[in-house]
This record gives sequence, C-alpha cells and structure tokens, in this order.
Amino acid sequence: MPGLATMSLDNMFCTRCGDGFEPNEKIVNSNGELWHTNCFVCAQCFRVFPEGTFYEFEGRKYCERDFQVLFAPCCGKCGEFVIGRVIKAMNANWHPSCFRCEECNVELADAGFIKNGGRALCHTCNARIKADGLLNYMCHKCHGVIDGEPLRYRGEVYHGYHFTCATCGVELDHTAREVKHRPGYAANDVNNLFCLRCHDKMGIPICGACRRPIEERIVTALGKHWHVEHFVCAKCEKPFHGHRHYEKKGLAYCEQHYHQLFGNLCYVCNQVIAGDVFTALNKAWCVHHFACSVCDAPLSTRSKFYEYDERPACRRCYEKFPAELRRRLRRAHHYTIRR
Amino acid sequence: MSHQPPVSCIPNTGKMSKAKKVIEEAKENNNPEIDLVDKGLSSLDEIPGLFSLANITRLSVSHNKIQVVPAALANLANLEILNLANNYITELPVSLSSLPKLRILNVSLNRLNGLPRGFGSFPVLEILDLTYNNLNEKNLPGNFFIMDSLRALYLGDNDFEYLPAEIGNLKNLQILSMRENDLIEVPRELGQLARLRELHLQGNRLVVLPPEIGSLDLASNKSVLRLEGNFWVPHIEDQLKLGPSHVLDYLRSETYKVLYSRHMSAKPAPPPQTLDKSKKASRAA
Ligand SMILES: [Zn+2]
Ligand SMILES: [Zn+2]
Ligand SMILES: [Zn+2]
Ligand SMILES: [Zn+2]
Ligand SMILES: [Zn+2]
Ligand SMILES: [Zn+2]
Ligand SMILES: [Zn+2]
Ligand SMILES: [Zn+2]
Repeated sequence: MPGLATMSLDNMFCTRCGDGFEPNEKIVNSNGELWHTNCFVCAQCFRVFPEGTFYEFEGRKYCERDFQVLFAPCCGKCGEFVIGRVIKAMNANWHPSCFRCEECNVELADAGFIKNGGRALCHTCNARIKADGLLNYMCHKCHGVIDGEPLRYRGEVYHGYHFTCATCGVELDHTAREVKHRPGYAANDVNNLFCLRCHDKMGIPICGACRRPIEERIVTALGKHWHVEHFVCAKCEKPFHGHRHYEKKGLAYCEQHYHQLFGNLCYVCNQVIAGDVFTALNKAWCVHHFACSVCDAPLSTRSKFYEYDERPACRRCYEKFPAELRRRLRRAHHYTIRR
Repeated sequence: MSHQPPVSCIPNTGKMSKAKKVIEEAKENNNPEIDLVDKGLSSLDEIPGLFSLANITRLSVSHNKIQVVPAALANLANLEILNLANNYITELPVSLSSLPKLRILNVSLNRLNGLPRGFGSFPVLEILDLTYNNLNEKNLPGNFFIMDSLRALYLGDNDFEYLPAEIGNLKNLQILSMRENDLIEVPRELGQLARLRELHLQGNRLVVLPPEIGSLDLASNKSVLRLEGNFWVPHIEDQLKLGPSHVLDYLRSETYKVLYSRHMSAKPAPPPQTLDKSKKASRAA
C-alpha cells in the first residue's frame, strides 16, 4: 500500500463528502479510497458496517442486511436469500441446489432443463412424460384413445372427427381453431370451432410471435400483429406494454437496449445517430439537428452557446432574453461552477 | 384585421419583403424548413402563401412580435417542429393539437395565460417547451397529462404552486423542468416516471420531497437533478451540500420515510413566495 503517512493531508479527500481530513484524524482506507470514519457507512442505512463487512453494488457499499434486502434475490423454493450463484429460470431465482426436476428431483442447474406445462423437468423425465401424454389422451365424448394430436375445445380433448366447421361444415382435425371472443358478438355465438381456411377468412389476426389468433388486445408493429404480451424487445424479451419501441432491421428493441446496441439517440429527431455525434449537456445530437433550442439556428463544435435548462441557446438568443431572465441565468451559472 | 391597432397595419415593407423572399425561395427549392426568425413580423396572416406550404416540416418564427397564432397553421399537416419562442402570444388555437406529425412545440418566452381546452390531444408530441409564460396548475386544460408521448416537458419560469398527480401518466418523460416556479409540493407520482433522467426543481418553495423520488435513476453521470434554491428541511439541505446523489440516497432511507410522513401529516404553512415576478416580460400587457 502506498504509505498513507507519506501522502500529504492537503491532497487527501474523503470519497463520499469530498472534504479533507484533520491532522491525527482516523482515516479509513478501502482499496486506496479514503473516507472519514463517519462517512464510511452503508449507502442505505447510514450505519457503520458490522465487523467491517460490506457488499459493493454499482459503486455503492451496503451492509449485509441492506444488501440482501435490496439486491439479493429470494430462492423460489426455500425463500432464503440467494448469495453467490443464482439460477434464473422459470421466472424466479433459485439456489443451485434448490432448482430440481419436479419429477425425479435431480439437480438441474448444470444439466439443463425443459419447461413442460409450467414445470421444470430434466431431459429424461420430459421425454417420458411427452410419450405418455401422447398415448394417454382420451376423447371426452367417446372415451376412446386418441392417436396423435387431439382437438382441444372448451378445455377438453376430443377426436377431431366429432366436429364440423361452423362455417363450411367440413370434418375437423386437431388444426381446428376455437374462437372465444369476437368484437360485436356475444360469447355464446362465437364459442365455436372452425377449419383453418374459414378461420383465416374471418380476418382474426395472427400473432407474429406465437402464430396463434389474437382475440383480445392487439399490437400492430413491424408490419405484423402481436399479442400485447408477445410484442417484446429483441434483446431482453420484455413486453413493451405500450412503451415506445425502436426498430432496427425488422426487430424491435426497448429504449435501453437500442441505446446499448446501436448508440446515441438524437435529442431532436430521437433517431439513432449514424454519423458524427455532438454531445453536450448530457445529450446527443445528429449533425443535422445540433442547433439552438430557441431559434433552431445550427450550431457547430466551435459555437459559443449558453446553457438554458440543460439545452444550448445561441448568443443571439441569449441576448434577446429578457434582462431579468439573463440575470437569473448568470446567478445559476455561478452556482453550477461553485459546485 | 380591423381590431388590431393601426400601427401594426402599416407593414414594415422592408421586413415583409424579406419574409416573402423566404417563402418564395422555399417554394422554388422545395425547402421543407422555413426560417422566419427575427423578421419583425407582427402576424403570420400577413405572410402570403405560408399556409399553402403543405410539405414543410419545420417552421421557426422565434423573436418576432406575433400576438395571434392563426388556426390555419394547422393546415401545415407535415409540420414536425413549430418554434414560436419569444413572441407576444397570449393564447393558442386548439387546432394546433391536431397536427398529426408535430413532435416539437416551442412556445417559450411568450405571454400565455392559459392553454385551450383539449390542448393535450397532440398525437405524437415529444418535446413541449412552455418555459417563461404565466401558466399554473389552475389554467392547464383537463387533458394536459394525456400526452404520454412526451419525452421532455419544460415548464420553468411559470407560476405553478402544485404539480398535478397526473404527471405520473407521462410514462415516457425523460426531462421535466419546473425551474423557478412557486412549487410548494411535488406529488409522489413523480416516482412513477421510471425514464426520468433530468429533473429541474431549483428555485421553488419546496421543503420535502416524496421518498419515491429516491427510486428514480437521477444519480448516474447522464442524469441531472437540480434542487438548489428551495426551503429544504435541514437533513435534505445537509445531503444537498454533498451532492444530489446523497439526497437520493437519503430519500431511500427508512429514517426519511418516517420524517416525510410526519411532515405531511403536520401540514406546516408553506414558505413565503420569494421570486419577484412583476418584472417578467411575460407579464407585459
Ligand atoms: Zn467524509
Ligand atoms: Zn433454496
Ligand atoms: Zn371420440
Ligand atoms: Zn370450414
Ligand atoms: Zn402471441
Ligand atoms: Zn430490452
Ligand atoms: Zn437528429
Ligand atoms: Zn438561437
């Protein structure tokens, strides 16, 4: 460690508050960062760290208790905090030893798993259950065994040949579509089965992700229709739920990942900046849009501009501001410099 | 235009012909961006052919003497940017709100005493600049906070004492400036604006902040949080001296949640109005 004693107190400052240290004051040195003893505290509870133990996250230090409360995920099985390796699966977090096949109880963390009817299964159990399932479908009407895929209707399984298309009368198979809601119809009038061809003609839109009909809220984007919950960011797969999305090469992204993958968005046109980027005042501009926010006159890197609510105002505009506003802006400017 | 004072009826021919030239050049070159900044204009009706430029995408008429915004401006159906900054405008026509492509509207440095009913119906507005007018929570139209396409809302230098809780509906808001108003209180719903990266609250009459503000991402190096020039309780003031990120840390603490709820139930009298607004240009008759 570069000896503390050899450093001059004059250029030693507390990492948290920025103030200097008194001679003979006790100084905390953590990985070369210096702190007042009072400042070396948990970012959440402001208490000193019990036994000096702290957890660091995004540049902040937390005591063990607060770190767990704030950031450590809870195991989906035992409910304890997961410290160390976290298995993220089935929309939950798990200790590696808690995430097991729901049939044979083998650990899945390293072997991988398959989602089957909302359950996490090992490859062996999944294969067995799938085979059993195909063999064991029993028709709800005739109680006979169904070979191959069954037709699903009002929550039951049937042989397709017990039904005909509500429009054209053709005998149905497992590809038949059940329609539950249709705008302008009562539920009982539409709870019916149709062959694929007639279903398509009814104009019920098909989701671009799951290829199933969309009978409730619909999103239209990228030239396709989507279930609200199936129109998702191509990177994080979270649904946009009406939030703005950004398109690139036929894919949609959330703002965060669009930024992350493709760079800055221009403050004016809100498009990704392909060429040169002007950055100032925590914002970015494309070449065409770097301009005074009051008069729209173009600015260049060499233009002098004034900051006005974290936007640039050109000299001409600044001079046309009411005198009392200029006075207040000058005072605010001094404040920022002092800071 | 018989109701206008005679002096504005004598068009300054030198200036008018300049404006006329801009329009004619735009027509010839098919230029979609019209610049009529600082041309001494007192009315947009006087500019021949302006409303027939249906393909223009930007109209900048900052630094003129325009009092009335003609409803016919809404004929410019391709307009994306409309800049009316620093004029003498006291009211806006509701027709503006139907401009189908308008993304940026700047009416800063004017004399707005209110906004028309139905103002909030802009379909795609992203940046709305109403800085330096005479607006407050009582003269906003009822549908103001349905503009959930807004990325930035600038209301600095106005007369707000309260920010309506519906601000929480503006889910896409990244920038909110309430600089130098008369704010006594901001609502908890501000904490719902998950995308907020710039919050200007400096120069108001605030004493406490809702703890929910602590959950916003306002401490990163791309964020701006301005809090100075308020009447903060000592604990917030102390943290502010260390920097805005310390305030956010403090707002998240259990101690502060208790302090905030005690403060809110005690309902102390608000601090005095300190800004002298009588000299504001927006007050000129
Ligand atoms: Zn310190
Ligand atoms: Zn566990
Ligand atoms: Zn059967
Ligand atoms: Zn059919
Ligand atoms: Zn779908
Ligand atoms: Zn994403
Ligand atoms: Zn741009
Ligand atoms: Zn300018």
